[in-house]
Amino acid sequence: MTGLVLRRLALIPLVLLVASAVVFCLPRLLGGNVTRSVIRARSLASAPDPAAEARLAAELGLDRPLRDQYLAWLSGAVRGDLGRSFTTRAAVGPEVVEAAGVSATLAVLGLAVALAVAVPTGVLAADRPGGVGDRAVDRVGAMALAVPEFVVGPVLVLLVAVWAGWLPAIGWGSPAQAVLPVVTLAFFPAALAARLVRAETRVALAHPSTTTAVAKGLSRRRVLAVHVLPRSLTAVLAEAGPFLAGTLGGAVVVEVVFGIPGLGSLLADAIGSRDLPTVQAGLVVVIAVALVLTLATEVAGRALNPRLR
Amino acid sequence: MRVLAPIVVVLALVLSACGGSAPSSDGSVAVALQFPPRAGYAFDADDGALLTKLGVAEPLVALDRQGNPVPGLATAWVQEGASWRFTLREGVTFHDGAPLDANAVVTALSYVLGRPAPPRAITDIGLQVAAEGPTTVRATTTTPDPVLPLRLSSGTTSILSPAAYATGQQPSPVDTATGPLRMTEIRGTEGATLERNDGYWGERAASARVDVRYVTDPQTRELALRSGDVGFTEGLPETSRAGLAADPAVTLHEFPSARTILLQLNQSAPPFADLRVRQALTAALDRNVLANQVLGGSALPAADLFGPAVPYGATQAPPAADVAGAQALLAQAGFGPANPLRVRLWTFPNRPELPVLAQAIASQLQAAGVVTEITVGQYDAQEPEVLAGRYDMFLNSRSYLSDYPDAASTLSSDYTCGGSYAIDQYCSPAFDALVAQLGTVTDPAARAELYRQAAGQLTADAVGVPIVHPRNTAAEQGVTGFVPDPLDLRPVLPVLAPAG
Repeated sequence: MTGLVLRRLALIPLVLLVASAVVFCLPRLLGGNVTRSVIRARSLASAPDPAAEARLAAELGLDRPLRDQYLAWLSGAVRGDLGRSFTTRAAVGPEVVEAAGVSATLAVLGLAVALAVAVPTGVLAADRPGGVGDRAVDRVGAMALAVPEFVVGPVLVLLVAVWAGWLPAIGWGSPAQAVLPVVTLAFFPAALAARLVRAETRVALAHPSTTTAVAKGLSRRRVLAVHVLPRSLTAVLAEAGPFLAGTLGGAVVVEVVFGIPGLGSLLADAIGSRDLPTVQAGLVVVIAVALVLTLATEVAGRALNPRLR
Repeated sequence: MRVLAPIVVVLALVLSACGGSAPSSDGSVAVALQFPPRAGYAFDADDGALLTKLGVAEPLVALDRQGNPVPGLATAWVQEGASWRFTLREGVTFHDGAPLDANAVVTALSYVLGRPAPPRAITDIGLQVAAEGPTTVRATTTTPDPVLPLRLSSGTTSILSPAAYATGQQPSPVDTATGPLRMTEIRGTEGATLERNDGYWGERAASARVDVRYVTDPQTRELALRSGDVGFTEGLPETSRAGLAADPAVTLHEFPSARTILLQLNQSAPPFADLRVRQALTAALDRNVLANQVLGGSALPAADLFGPAVPYGATQAPPAADVAGAQALLAQAGFGPANPLRVRLWTFPNRPELPVLAQAIASQLQAAGVVTEITVGQYDAQEPEVLAGRYDMFLNSRSYLSDYPDAASTLSSDYTCGGSYAIDQYCSPAFDALVAQLGTVTDPAARAELYRQAAGQLTADAVGVPIVHPRNTAAEQGVTGFVPDPLDLRPVLPVLAPAG
């Protein structure tokens, strides 16, 4: 296991290096006048101004060969300096880290709420086929899987914030402001995880070790808790990485709907304004998080399931 | 169920306690604005105009509701050849307590003039500024500029305290400006906190505190207003207009904007080099239908380049479609059922109404026998092609005022021979002569007359088809005082106050 972790950890910097080169070079090779796009992002100027573009290109270093630009960026990046935003001139590192923190908080809370609902519901559904839990996983789950976040969010806002007046409709920073975005984000993974837990629980219930435990006279609750739940959770954990990645994707929509300053909205704005340093830093952070999550998922899966070792 | 009921009750009470509402008894209001700062409140970006709208920063010259220059930080100005002498208001202090003087003005204007891409309002005129005493500033241009006071009404030329420029970094507007509201906190592109400047030289702000939130999604802004999170918002969804107008708790404002959606026609090549073809397209389009039905009334039909947002803009509706007339003109130009006119129409999705309008335009043109192939692409990729004249038709959205209430720069860049944004590839010595007169005319009435003549000539020469003028919307709930500003150049927030 230790060998596996070390091998994977050694690969991460290499993958990040390749990814950073692609992320750096691709937008610059796609054509279009980056400097002009930056000027347009900063002001609504429509008429081209070649002299201003040349001055700005020199200030931003865009007049240098692509290789030199990349090496300069890489040299800064390894020292923790991810450059300055083309549009705001602010250091992008702290900006990206702060926005990533907001998105991560949103995603982790969303996933936690989703699992808190999905695991007991899925186990109950499997334990009592045709019961309330089972029907809820089928029907409510189907609805939750079909309705996207940009519909769930506004509906929740209408019900809870506009009509009932219980919670704020927008913003981020207070626990009250987090409730609706987190619940919105939890809908889809909760439905998905509940179905997965139900399926895995059914398999676990049919396993000979469970039959043996029942035959020994253990209580139903104890059988479920000790013999069934760990097997079901192993399956969920194996999917935690993709789940979290999907939740982060959903967070982008939720950030827009609730006006939350997360990584999704930061990247969307940066792509629109050709703010390449922010795009590069944001994507590198996303790729790094994905790599670490994949490793963590693999390690956790092997730790929980001896057959995978 | 016995366990669940108390949980639900407690949850409801907790949630009720932590819910918020916009207007509060301490004289504060919360607002949701649609455009966040583009560049961290940089003055060489459009953020200078945003700071003016917030009521935080002020330029030398203010504007009245008609867009005429009136005293701001400068109380008087006089033209002396290629320079203007501005007399500064006495007794003005910045939010940090420093006094406003000529040196502070020179420092501020020199900063924006020295940026790689200075603000549009003061670019390409060779502007130089110098102090001529503690309260006098001389601004000199390469050639006499009749509208320099108007240029210096742009929010991008606002004046901050010298301390803001001493850091070597981008100057921050936090506690360094002069406006009726002082910025005390910046929360990135999420929002900002403003507090009343009790030492303001003019009319004091109506609220003691303004919580500004930037919300880019129109539906979210509407929900924030309806939930009471904010008491004022703008740029509401087109589909919500009727519901908001019918809501007695909400005051909805609709007003024209200084923007035109134009169908631009490439006159450097066939078929639009032929005036008859351009006139045929103009006749084939029913702009009233496009504005009132296709866009659901969220825009006004455009009869002219300039709309009702400016005093010299057209206020009458454009003529209805004349399909028979269009077909006759096309026949004269050699097009008919056996040889239909086939054209490409390009547009871009950054403004969601453009692809919708493109479809409707293609449909109306089809009735006149014109076959249109629509391409919705990225503006960045399309721009070099249309500027080089490698296109047929381009549906574009254009603000005809940029930063300050004068359209000369738009007419010059868009419609004179060799203009830097001459997408229509229009070139008329008579039109150029007309625009050249704007370089020497100072009187607003005389300039307005020149604008009317210029727009009239563009219409007569069928230089593209002005389609619609989009309308702006704003709404208040529990807040009063909003004054619509079609020019979108005057302060908005200082006049907002909690209702009652």
